[in-house]
Amino acid sequence: MGNDGAMARVELLDADQAPLSAQQYFAGGDPGPIVAALATVPELLGPALGFVGPALSAGSVGLRATEFAILRTSTLQGCTYCIHAHTAVSLDAGLTPSEVRALRGDIPLEDGFPSESERALIGWIDALAGATGQIPDDVWQAARQHWAEHVLIEISVTVGATMFLNRFATGLQLPTAPHVLQRLADEGMS
Amino acid sequence: MTDTLAPSRPIAEAVHAGTLPGRVWLYSNYHCNLACSYCLTESSPRSERRILSAEQMVAVAEQATELGFTALGVTGGEPLLLPWLPEAVLEMAQHLPLVLLTNGTLFSGERLERAAKLAHPNVALQISLDSHLPDVNDMARGPDNFAKVVEAVPRLIARGVQVRIATTTAGPADDPALDPLRQLVISLGVAADDHLVRPIVRRGRADELGLGVRAVARDIPSELTIAADGAFWGSFGPTVRNGRLDTDLLLTRTILPLSIPANALLAAILGMPEGADAKLGIR
Repeated sequence: MGNDGAMARVELLDADQAPLSAQQYFAGGDPGPIVAALATVPELLGPALGFVGPALSAGSVGLRATEFAILRTSTLQGCTYCIHAHTAVSLDAGLTPSEVRALRGDIPLEDGFPSESERALIGWIDALAGATGQIPDDVWQAARQHWAEHVLIEISVTVGATMFLNRFATGLQLPTAPHVLQRLADEGMS
Repeated sequence: MTDTLAPSRPIAEAVHAGTLPGRVWLYSNYHCNLACSYCLTESSPRSERRILSAEQMVAVAEQATELGFTALGVTGGEPLLLPWLPEAVLEMAQHLPLVLLTNGTLFSGERLERAAKLAHPNVALQISLDSHLPDVNDMARGPDNFAKVVEAVPRLIARGVQVRIATTTAGPADDPALDPLRQLVISLGVAADDHLVRPIVRRGRADELGLGVRAVARDIPSELTIAADGAFWGSFGPTVRNGRLDTDLLLTRTILPLSIPANALLAAILGMPEGADAKLGIR
């Protein structure tokens, strides 16, 4: 079932129907709906994962800041699948329940993030993912006071890759795995 | 800086080395006037047509030549249900030798004269015939199929068309029970060397009925195969089962430029484990 209870809009391939070049992703079991959907166009699977994989990994900025970007962007874009998945990942990465709730917009940002530097980083993420058009200089300057240029470039790539996945998962109505839904219920963050 | 060690024409070199088969197959369409029991594509008059356009087919032929492939094949469905097909085939044959697979039932009246245009040194028709016994043949292939084929073959040959016969069998290719059929084929004017015998592959409708041999990628000749739904590993790749296209042998959804699926096929072949050669004699 999809995010809002509907079925996925596209066929999610299983191991038996996985194209030759995609079979490596199915060797360890169910690769998840993003891969299972992308495998239908096998020439895109490798390049897409080749971009998204590094863009959503800890990189030089670390897992904590990366999860700020992914969970916050997914929240601003309204991607239920990605919010579900990265609520669990963020908790596993060591973010506190209060930080996760703040990134999800369940509580005010200030309640989860007393640190000015982290709020400035989230301000940059919000400006990228939650608005269109030009980004005011003061948002950039606030972030630059605390974070190196290369960190903001890396976070910008993470936000962009997340927005791609947000629209992909939302448009195709990709379903959240049952074990993730159970985890969120256990954490009181469904 | 360019890599001086990279081959400048990787497809041509792989074909020359025997790493990559030289023939490119095209599924011109999926619909058919017959509904054979072992059909790989569940073809019938009601099938989704999945047509490659004449422009696409000619472009495949042109680009196959440029890349270094050495032959073409056109199959379906029944290709000759497409009225423009003979002209497209002749244009493709300007580039490479071509074999056109047909069920041989559409060669009467005007259609025979249209097919007679295919009397060309670069074109051969491959017609299906599965038994010397009309009832046995027609049980799998449909009513009156045997009579239509044995009538059409000499007529085509008389008009200068090159004809081959293909037999699909549930038994071994060298089964002595096929000897009367081999004699019949020769009596129709087809050379013994132009009579191809191949096993039923358990895909498509044959899979639904439990017919034929199971085959995975390494069992199937890795000929690049182009269909409306994408490019596949082998002519047994773009099969249909219960109305659903099989994607296990799908290489790319992109079919043109042909270099994209051709390079994907070559990469897949080079990624196969050593010794994974075709072993079932599927041709």
